[in-house]
Amino acid sequence: MKTLRILPILAALVAAPLAFAHHSAVQYDFTKLVEIKGTVKAFTAANPHMRMTLDVKNASGSGSHEVKLEGHSTNNMYRNGYRKGMVNVGDAISVNVAPLRNGDEGGYVLGATAANGDYFGVRSTRSLDAAKAKEQAESK
Amino acid sequence: MRQGKQGWRITFAVGALLASAAAMAAPPDFTGVWTNAGRPGIGGATGPGAAPLPFKPEAEKRVKAYQALVAKSGDSPGGLCLGTGMPGSMLGSGGYPMEIIQRPEQITIIYEAHSETRRVYFGPRNADQKDRIPGRNGYSSGRWEGNTLVVETDNLVDAVDQRSTPHSDQAKIVERYTLEGKDDQGRQILKAEMTMTDPVFYTAPVKMEKRWAQVPNGRLLPYECNEEMWTARLEELADKAGVPLP
Repeated sequence: MKTLRILPILAALVAAPLAFAHHSAVQYDFTKLVEIKGTVKAFTAANPHMRMTLDVKNASGSGSHEVKLEGHSTNNMYRNGYRKGMVNVGDAISVNVAPLRNGDEGGYVLGATAANGDYFGVRSTRSLDAAKAKEQAESK
Repeated sequence: MRQGKQGWRITFAVGALLASAAAMAAPPDFTGVWTNAGRPGIGGATGPGAAPLPFKPEAEKRVKAYQALVAKSGDSPGGLCLGTGMPGSMLGSGGYPMEIIQRPEQITIIYEAHSETRRVYFGPRNADQKDRIPGRNGYSSGRWEGNTLVVETDNLVDAVDQRSTPHSDQAKIVERYTLEGKDDQGRQILKAEMTMTDPVFYTAPVKMEKRWAQVPNGRLLPYECNEEMWTARLEELADKAGVPLP
């Protein structure tokens, strides 16, 4: 029982530095685009990647759960329409993400529709664009 | 009509003056903001091309060991807010733009990503070799060959962690910059040809090419990147001290 109590502390200690130190996009599948709707619990526009936590309704219809996301840098988002104040805690927003490869809920934010309806970021991925272009070329 | 002796003298003097004026003509001005000449927006990093790098066996072993180490996590210097260094900074800069500030004695290049900065010194503005400090972007010395800017970079540090252009601290890079005219979108193009030699890493010079497009009235954005790490450190200190985060 004692071990069980220590384990979460150990896990937290190990996870703490990783939580901020790790910025990598390899765990995301950029050939896919998934929409996630939720309420903003936390948002940081940052470099090299933004951070966002959404409160997402459970599929069962009752209750909700947290989904942690990272995404394009402030600078990339700025060049694609993001401006300060567009995302606030409590806002109901929808984000376009490249999903996690391992199937877990979460992803890399490529773009989002802010609470006021303004869109920022990209609406597609290069891999998807390339796949569509190939499909179109083949159908001609 | 026969030209008199005086006439020949004047013609010669004018000719000499024109020739010297041409030789002394101001070099082109690269001042401004430049973005990757590829697709606008996100991405656009370029490497040395499809040709395999002419690695020496020992270097290839180190590069493969490094790549295997980070393959699963995808870690990179940039992911931890560390600049790429030359030649990666010039070749890709993460798809972000760069700004060139040109003065006769110094050209300053700022890459938006990680605010990496290179200073290219001309003539007497250069530091003695013994006074140069090694770094990821090395030490750069410039000169004009007509309308071509030639930049020689030495004093680099070992960079096995550069994704497409790893090198040792013995690497030297020569860049040749020329204005190439306008592309089909009407943008002024700056072409950079680079040659990297590294007796420790490579059996032959590595050649690379990169094109930048001018962004009229462009602005670089700030690129602070360590904010998250700093906040986490403050939280850790506050936690240890048992006080709330100020």
